Amino acid sequence: MKTLNESQLNELQQDLDQIRDQVIADLGERDANYIGKVVRLHRSLEVGGRVMMPFGFIPPVFLAATTALGLSKIIENMEIGHNVMHGQYDWMNDPSLNSQTYEWDTACGGDSWRRTHNYEHHTYTNIIGKDRDYGYALLRLSEDDKWRPAHLLQFANYVLLSVFFQWGVGLHELEFERLRNREITLKEKTPFLKEFFRKGGRQAFKDYVFFPLVTLPVAPVVLAGNISANLMRNLWSSTVIFCGHFTQDAETFSEEECEGESKGHWYLRQLTGSSNFTGSRWVHLLSGHLSYQIEHHIFPDLPAHRYPEISEQVQAVCRKYGIHYNTGSFARQYGTVLKRIAGFSLPDRLRTRLLPEFNNAVA
Amino acid sequence: MLAQLQTSGAVHWLGRQLFNREDPAAFFDPLLERIDPLLTRQTIRARVISVTDETPDTKTFVLEPAGRWQGFRAGQHIALTLEINGVRRTRTFSLSGTPAQWRQNGTIAVTVKRIQGGQVTGWMHECLEPGATLSVSDAFGDFDIPDVAEPAIYIVGGSGITPVLSHLETMAADGYRAPVTLLYYVRTHQDIIARDRLEALAQHWPALALKIFTTEEAGSDQRLNDHQLNQVPGLNARRCFLCGPEGLMDLAGDLLHRRNIPEDRIHCTRFSAPTVELDGDNLGGQVQFAKSGKQTESLGDASILDIAEASGLSPKHGCRMGICHQCSCRKTSGTVVNRLTGKTSGQGEETIQLCVSVPAGAVSIDL
Ligand code: FES
Repeated sequence: MKTLNESQLNELQQDLDQIRDQVIADLGERDANYIGKVVRLHRSLEVGGRVMMPFGFIPPVFLAATTALGLSKIIENMEIGHNVMHGQYDWMNDPSLNSQTYEWDTACGGDSWRRTHNYEHHTYTNIIGKDRDYGYALLRLSEDDKWRPAHLLQFANYVLLSVFFQWGVGLHELEFERLRNREITLKEKTPFLKEFFRKGGRQAFKDYVFFPLVTLPVAPVVLAGNISANLMRNLWSSTVIFCGHFTQDAETFSEEECEGESKGHWYLRQLTGSSNFTGSRWVHLLSGHLSYQIEHHIFPDLPAHRYPEISEQVQAVCRKYGIHYNTGSFARQYGTVLKRIAGFSLPDRLRTRLLPEFNNAVA
Repeated sequence: MLAQLQTSGAVHWLGRQLFNREDPAAFFDPLLERIDPLLTRQTIRARVISVTDETPDTKTFVLEPAGRWQGFRAGQHIALTLEINGVRRTRTFSLSGTPAQWRQNGTIAVTVKRIQGGQVTGWMHECLEPGATLSVSDAFGDFDIPDVAEPAIYIVGGSGITPVLSHLETMAADGYRAPVTLLYYVRTHQDIIARDRLEALAQHWPALALKIFTTEEAGSDQRLNDHQLNQVPGLNARRCFLCGPEGLMDLAGDLLHRRNIPEDRIHCTRFSAPTVELDGDNLGGQVQFAKSGKQTESLGDASILDIAEASGLSPKHGCRMGICHQCSCRKTSGTVVNRLTGKTSGQGEETIQLCVSVPAGAVSIDL
């Protein structure tokens, strides 16, 4: 990790706080209109997709219906659900956009996500051993995990995780790895499991039972379309999220170096542990602006559509302190993610020879 | 029929399954709003029909609520929710029109005095124009006309006239027989709200004795006093209605009590909820917000809503004065004192209003 002395860290904090304050002072109608537009877009796509789906026996209609429904799920999860639950729109006082009550269209319950993501991941970002989002306790992505032969298969695990991403995220709080090691018991997890079955069941019911049933003669078409739409959303969101912290230059941290850290140090960790990718306006919208992961991690509760606007300022701050602003094209960043997954599946001796670029990325 | 369906448990259940929300109909609100805002289901919308000046700082807004609005009784209030620069703000106003008017043409009226530096009233005066929409709550409050006609006196200050206008016009229309006296206190003649309506009432309805006093006009410091009350025939047998600023209400209450008029014959409606003096020594304590994992220490009589906001949470709220129940939330343990009633809660799990609940010792809140 790039090291800064204490006064530099304080200064860094002030610089970033200032950017944040500017945006907060300026929040208003423009932001309300923006999220309003996105919500309308989501509703139109979902309604359109659901209405078209029964006519999916006509191939082009199937394509249109599935795409509309898939996009609606992507937009709802990324630009609406994720951002609303971060509290980005709480200031609007709109009960349908309230961070504490919002429930999104995915298998993971809102409350569970607020605990594991909002709290754990955003507090302990990239601290190996504390941030369970780092590799999802499933993938070995840094040297801090000891290599085991099972890791040879992790690329297949990664593909599976992506395909079933909503279920993976939904079950994240189960802490399967700790259950296996008998650090915790299943009994302690019963309340969570109840929650999971309620929410997951609801999602499965609607896409795989209810909508196919009400369109009975064409149920297989509707079922296939709904599965495809969920798959589309799973693959995309997993890919976007992997690009956020697992690119080549995204750093990891040890518990010791973050103990009792200052706000400035926390900022520094967010800046160096996250990575962006570039793209068109649509790419940013569909990724919920997690293409601006760095900005999101330093200011998780600022409306995400503001990230592109403040990115220049954040980059200027990074330049001032010599901090690497980790960005690149989507293809490039995702390429390094795949390399990391593949690389760390190998024993260290082999990896250091084949993929030397990951050697110093680990703190 | 449709309304019945919507409230039924089955529909809520389906709403949760299909739309991840309690109110399936509100899922379509963002689209319906584009077609006609009055169609939305999550809140009841009303359209502004007209805006008229009453005095230099008071305007009357005539509103037409969506068809499913339930109606009101003279003397009741509603909460209006307006979107101001992207933020929803809720305030309570009394209804100045009559229930009869609403039944006839579906419109209601609020008469709003611009409060110095007031975010909402200022915005309403400057920006709220015919054609705009806002959200209205159901009517609430029990400042009611007596069931059977009996002599009455109204002691009213400034914009406190609004619910009283609704009373008087309704009584006049119903042919209320007993004598009614209105003592209306305003700062200057310019500040008389709905002067024409009052004068018309006095003319057509012989039971009404209308007296307007100015408190700040050169040479006439006509504050409420015993002398004025002595002029009201049979005062002790009258039902008393008080409405207006705190100072006038306290004074009137005091004068009436001294005449031994029983408490239950004095009816007040206030703009801000009265607050009880709380015993500062036993207040405050460790507050735990269970859902967000936050914990903080509070001192003195800060409300839990304020405490939560100070620690970075943003709970749902509306009026911040104990009226709208938007801020209702589960307390899982500990005791709180209700600022409106002064009452101490039980120890266990219960629903409390964050904005008027003050911790008394350690409490934990499901937030
Ligand atoms: S905010 Fe209205 S009752 Fe608390």
